[in-house]
Amino acid sequence: MKVKVYAVLKDYFAAETEIVAQNITDLKEQLLQLNPSAKEVINLSRFAVNDAFVENNHQINENDTISIIPPSSGG
Amino acid sequence: MTPSVSSHPAAADKPTYITNQIIDVAALLSQYEDEAAGAVVLFNGTVRNQSLGKPVDYLFYEAAETMAYKMINDLLQEAQEKWHLTTVFAVHRIGKVYVGESAVVVITSSPHRKEAYDANQYIIEKIKHELPLWKCEYFTDGTKKWGGNCSCQEITGNPNQHIYDI
Repeated sequence: MKVKVYAVLKDYFAAETEIVAQNITDLKEQLLQLNPSAKEVINLSRFAVNDAFVENNHQINENDTISIIPPSSGG
Repeated sequence: MTPSVSSHPAAADKPTYITNQIIDVAALLSQYEDEAAGAVVLFNGTVRNQSLGKPVDYLFYEAAETMAYKMINDLLQEAQEKWHLTTVFAVHRIGKVYVGESAVVVITSSPHRKEAYDANQYIIEKIKHELPLWKCEYFTDGTKKWGGNCSCQEITGNPNQHIYDI
């Protein structure tokens, strides 16, 4: 599945990567293995699958696009 | 029929909620003139010349665009229904925005002022706290910092719960 990150998360990961994960909790663990220093910002982020926010236990399918949304700072 | 979030016919098809172009505030205000309204509130969020005690060169805004567009559309519709607005519109810049330029504009109109004020404040708070859109401050000394307006979760313990929800 495709994983897209935004804003400050691009200081830790590529903007777009392919990762195979069962659910959001699994994905978080894999991201932290890739870059342990991202722990704080990952824990503050929301996860969306195909543009809809989901909980940690959400099952991920092969063709899903996951967006990792750090805390907003618009305005 | 789904109510339109704007009473302006030219903007009813697909309003521009996110733009990389300079926002012309005076032109927007005149575009959203509304004879049914006795009160028009316009919030203009501009880029100030300093932040964290340092001179700002410019801000760079990035959005998860499809999600942000839908969220603004839903938010405007929610506000229109809740406060019975005669007009409601919001637009946010992305890309580089220089000192003095508008980063975000929210327009609300209603027959009387209370509804227009309340709705306008609701919309800008939601935009600042919940919209998947981020600023990066670039300072004149060459440093940069991704913004974190929304630190509500440090208080609520939940990234989906904000201080105005508790």
